[in-house]
Amino acid sequence: MKMDLEQLRKTAAEVVARDDVKYLVGWKQGTYGYRVAPGFVEDAAGAAELIFSPLCTANLATYLTLVEELPIPRGQEPDDRKVAVMVKGCDSRAVTQLIVEKGIKKDEVVVIGCPCPGVVDPNLLAEKYPETEDQVEMKWNGEGFLLLRGGEETKIARDEVLAEKCRLCRYPNPVYSDIMLGDPVEPWETDEDKGVEEVEGKDVEERAEYWAEQFDKCVRCYSCRNVCPLCYCQDCVLDRLNPTWVNRAVNFSENTAFNIARAFHLGGRCIECGECERVCPANIPLGKINRKLAREVRDKYGFEPGVDPDAEPFQASFKPDDPEEFIL
Amino acid sequence: MSAEFNPNIVAFLCNWCSYAGADLAGTSRVNYPSNIQIIRVMCSGRVNPLYVMNALQQGADGVLVSGCHPGDCHYMEGNFFARRRLGMLKDLMEFVGVDPKRFHMSWVSASEGHKWKEVVEKTVEDAKEAGPFEGFRRRQIDW
Repeated sequence: MKMDLEQLRKTAAEVVARDDVKYLVGWKQGTYGYRVAPGFVEDAAGAAELIFSPLCTANLATYLTLVEELPIPRGQEPDDRKVAVMVKGCDSRAVTQLIVEKGIKKDEVVVIGCPCPGVVDPNLLAEKYPETEDQVEMKWNGEGFLLLRGGEETKIARDEVLAEKCRLCRYPNPVYSDIMLGDPVEPWETDEDKGVEEVEGKDVEERAEYWAEQFDKCVRCYSCRNVCPLCYCQDCVLDRLNPTWVNRAVNFSENTAFNIARAFHLGGRCIECGECERVCPANIPLGKINRKLAREVRDKYGFEPGVDPDAEPFQASFKPDDPEEFIL
Repeated sequence: MSAEFNPNIVAFLCNWCSYAGADLAGTSRVNYPSNIQIIRVMCSGRVNPLYVMNALQQGADGVLVSGCHPGDCHYMEGNFFARRRLGMLKDLMEFVGVDPKRFHMSWVSASEGHKWKEVVEKTVEDAKEAGPFEGFRRRQIDW
């Protein structure tokens, strides 16, 4: 374990004690099983509950833009104190991308970076080590994970339960942070993106069939949109009724239009944190679409979102020599 | 039912170049396939990817977006944005199983009536090859 909890809690307590910080968003123990809940910390007592473990899959950068801004009552000053947020490597890219898009301002946030040796996929974990009501603790243990439950210790190999996004992760260390906790981790060798390649290897009709099967499952709960740190439009195109861009009917045609629209809006913006795929109740492999688009943007346009806070947003900029071999 | 399949193509043409180019093709009596339904937009940069999706949902077998040549845009840079966005859309649609032959983009200037003819011929030919679009077309439900 590169970073100890003592240091994390101490730093968190110091940050929330600052006058210019409203609250801190971190991870805390959930109520049962492998659950980890987001913790909104306002004092030192709250800071003592924070954790950082391989179960901390959630991307907390979402909460920066999810806050509802209520109108300020007459005679009151707006609360322009900062919000502190704890980020892993992938989450820090979301914060950077938000700064690039001016979704948040640099001086509105305090970013606490946690170098992350890779988190687990809760579904994979629950499959192999069935979830009980007991609260568990999980730790990084050299190359693998250590599961502590009811006084029992289980060693788990890293490859067994590592989340897919972490297999492909190239930025385990936060790319942008105000405070860095612990030592940076050594980036690991990434696997080939088998999921995307498998779909790419099919021909167009097989691909259409594959995605028809997937999109048919969609129940249009919009969880993927709501959890996404970069889907934060106040007036979302999917909610509009006039004009109705995407009908609300749950059928294959509208589901496909919705999924393409969602993926397209993240083109050149998705930072591959895998949250959409994690929350999807129908288990649609949304990560594949996102990663495919991210790869196209990286290969063809040489652009990678969420790495440079001073970059220009991809879809709102252009280069005169962008590829145009597809143009007649 | 005619033996040959006649595709429906929706074309989004920019007001300043391609629309005028199509007009020129008409006034100079160039023959080209009549499968194309033209929608005039002010700039190719105006074309929202959801227009393309909606066209396909509502019964188009192919979509064509045409604008000014790079550097000639009436609004200086609209077509550069269009190129980036729609290039990405094409990759995405291909990945989710829409035949890339159904979506084309072209640069046609106001003086290129003959190029317009070639573009339409190519688009229609490709759409014919790809066949009727059944993918995610919106279906009328009979209650």
